[in-house]
Amino acid sequence: MSLLAETVRILLNGLQTGAIYVLLAIGLSIILGTLKFVNFAHGALYVVGLYVGLLVSQETTFSQGQLAEFGFGTLGLDMGFLAALIIVPIIVFVLGMAMERFVARPFYDRPDTDQILLTFGLAIVVQQALRVLFGGNSQSFAQPAWASGAVQLPLVGGFPQWRLWVIVITAVLVVLVYALIEFTDFGLTVRAGTQDSEMVQLLGIKITRPYIAVFGIGAALAGVAGVVGGPLTVVNPTVGTDVLVPAFLTVVIGGLGSIRGAVLGGLILGITQSFLIQWSLVIPALGINYGLAPWSQVGIYAIAAIILLVRPQGLLGSEVDIS
Amino acid sequence: MSDKNANATETEADGGETVSGGTGTASLDGVRSRWERVRGRESTIIALTIVGVALFPYLLARAPVISDLLQGYQELASLILVWGIFAIGFDLLLGRTGLLSFGHAALWGAGAYAAGWLSANVVQSPLVIVGIAVLFAVVLSVVLGVLSLRRGGIYFAILTLAFAQMIYYMASAPLASITGGDNGLTGVEIGPLLGSFDLGTELPSVAGTLLGTWRYAFIAAALVASVAVILRILNSLYGIVFRAIHENEQRASFVGFNVWRYKLAAFVLSGTFAGLAGALFTVHGEYVPLSSLYWTTSGEVVIMTVLGGVGTLIGPLIGAGIYLWVEYIVSGGYPFDWIGPYWHLVLGLVFVTVVVLFPQGVWGVVEDGRSWIAARLEER
Repeated sequence: MSLLAETVRILLNGLQTGAIYVLLAIGLSIILGTLKFVNFAHGALYVVGLYVGLLVSQETTFSQGQLAEFGFGTLGLDMGFLAALIIVPIIVFVLGMAMERFVARPFYDRPDTDQILLTFGLAIVVQQALRVLFGGNSQSFAQPAWASGAVQLPLVGGFPQWRLWVIVITAVLVVLVYALIEFTDFGLTVRAGTQDSEMVQLLGIKITRPYIAVFGIGAALAGVAGVVGGPLTVVNPTVGTDVLVPAFLTVVIGGLGSIRGAVLGGLILGITQSFLIQWSLVIPALGINYGLAPWSQVGIYAIAAIILLVRPQGLLGSEVDIS
Repeated sequence: MSDKNANATETEADGGETVSGGTGTASLDGVRSRWERVRGRESTIIALTIVGVALFPYLLARAPVISDLLQGYQELASLILVWGIFAIGFDLLLGRTGLLSFGHAALWGAGAYAAGWLSANVVQSPLVIVGIAVLFAVVLSVVLGVLSLRRGGIYFAILTLAFAQMIYYMASAPLASITGGDNGLTGVEIGPLLGSFDLGTELPSVAGTLLGTWRYAFIAAALVASVAVILRILNSLYGIVFRAIHENEQRASFVGFNVWRYKLAAFVLSGTFAGLAGALFTVHGEYVPLSSLYWTTSGEVVIMTVLGGVGTLIGPLIGAGIYLWVEYIVSGGYPFDWIGPYWHLVLGLVFVTVVVLFPQGVWGVVEDGRSWIAARLEER
């Protein structure tokens, strides 16, 4: 395979990894930017999306679940995944709204350390509740039948089809959210709230409704991330915490409250990770051929550290600082 | 209930009890006022700590009635003290300066790995191992502190978490030849204390009451020393500036203090205790699991500190006691079979309840109760 083809393949893999970070980071970022609320339970919403998605897709995939016994599997109605993609965001959106109302709102005036402690505790509770409900063992999330297998791409050759779908779904969602924030009145209020929520309220705009919607949208995106990311990872109650840290890093290096920043940050981290997995350090003269894969997890933190040392407010961060 | 707490309050009660042997209310008031005068002194608190750690293993594991209820065992006593050191050091940062670090696993793990690696490769003397491991943790905490303190507030929490995860992943794969990767660090061998006291042997008994092993004595001495050092810090200029930063950072910096420097000092000091505790954890368990660097370890010390009560000396110790007692005893089975498998969930719920309703933690509730009773007695 040519170097170019190899590079494109690595980039595609990086886009896919980054896509999951982006989906999580946008939610974190708009909640943090607009509501000034630190949500350590964002990873928990991802896992909720993952488990609910698994449940829905199994039950509505007629080749599995209850309905399979009635022969629905043979009809080719393998639509569980689409159902999950529609149902999960709705459920997690409602969950997010409930979280804003009952968890976040009473804590807006408490110090941010209290917010972190609260959501951290909540994340533990959700994780453990899922463990009680679904068991602690890892399960696997089947890829939808219509998107499994490889697809032939020009130049690259065979590429896992689901990875492309993750990129496409993420791209569509990001464009939708971006349009919502940039071009609607709702978005205008939210953006104004990010800049100066007090002033928005002084102008007579009731900000509680946009707030609750922002939380809902952020949560729904985390839920979607769980569903689309599900087939690519193992499903167990602790994966939420594993994605939370990279997602936070994405927000921090991209710049707070900026959707473009979240996208940029996610792609940087995803692509860095992807390159490190594939690359090796080859110095023939010294007889060195050292695979960098073990460094792939370390690499994203190193990149983040470097970016923060150079630009503490993040790549596309505004001057507004909430700390 | 933690015993550490029981000890301290009991000793305090003892102070009051001597009184009832006196000749009447006048001398009772006299002794009480003298007690009020000395109770805040460093020497009093250190003396109480010594009495507390001396009685602790007996109360937890061997005393009639109490230890039957607690079902504790001797090794758990030293483990509680180890985590106690971690938690009181952590509170120096969270409780005194208001900085919430989610990366202290890195410093605890650094101490633990350094101690383990030294014992397996260089030297076996526990004092030397712990000393060098603490130095290693100090150096690392300076680096992490300088990096993380570039941004305040929530960024600090996120950055400490991120850098600690970076170290976890480094230990897990690229540095696996040193750290043992997923298998953890095995081959840890701790030699005798000062060349002559084997850590595993029991201490001589006092009045038929066993005080634990030399290992326990070593750890208990470290706890007493930690308490003494922390008291000294809190009662010095540093302690006052820490409090000022907690109250109002901007004002502290306007007054002319270099806030960033004091924050770094607080971070490094708490990192020192984290490293000490980590090294002692290795001395205690003679094994370093990779999970000691994972961020759940940071989470555990956060839970302990907040659960027990931030900003107090005894709160984090109580928190450590409760957490480990629940982890080792409640999860263990009879008579807790009905709740054992869900202990993590229950602890999570309790933690959330404490954050929402009792920000002062268990010790805060005890204090409130005590002052409520005192007020009632005053009324009568």
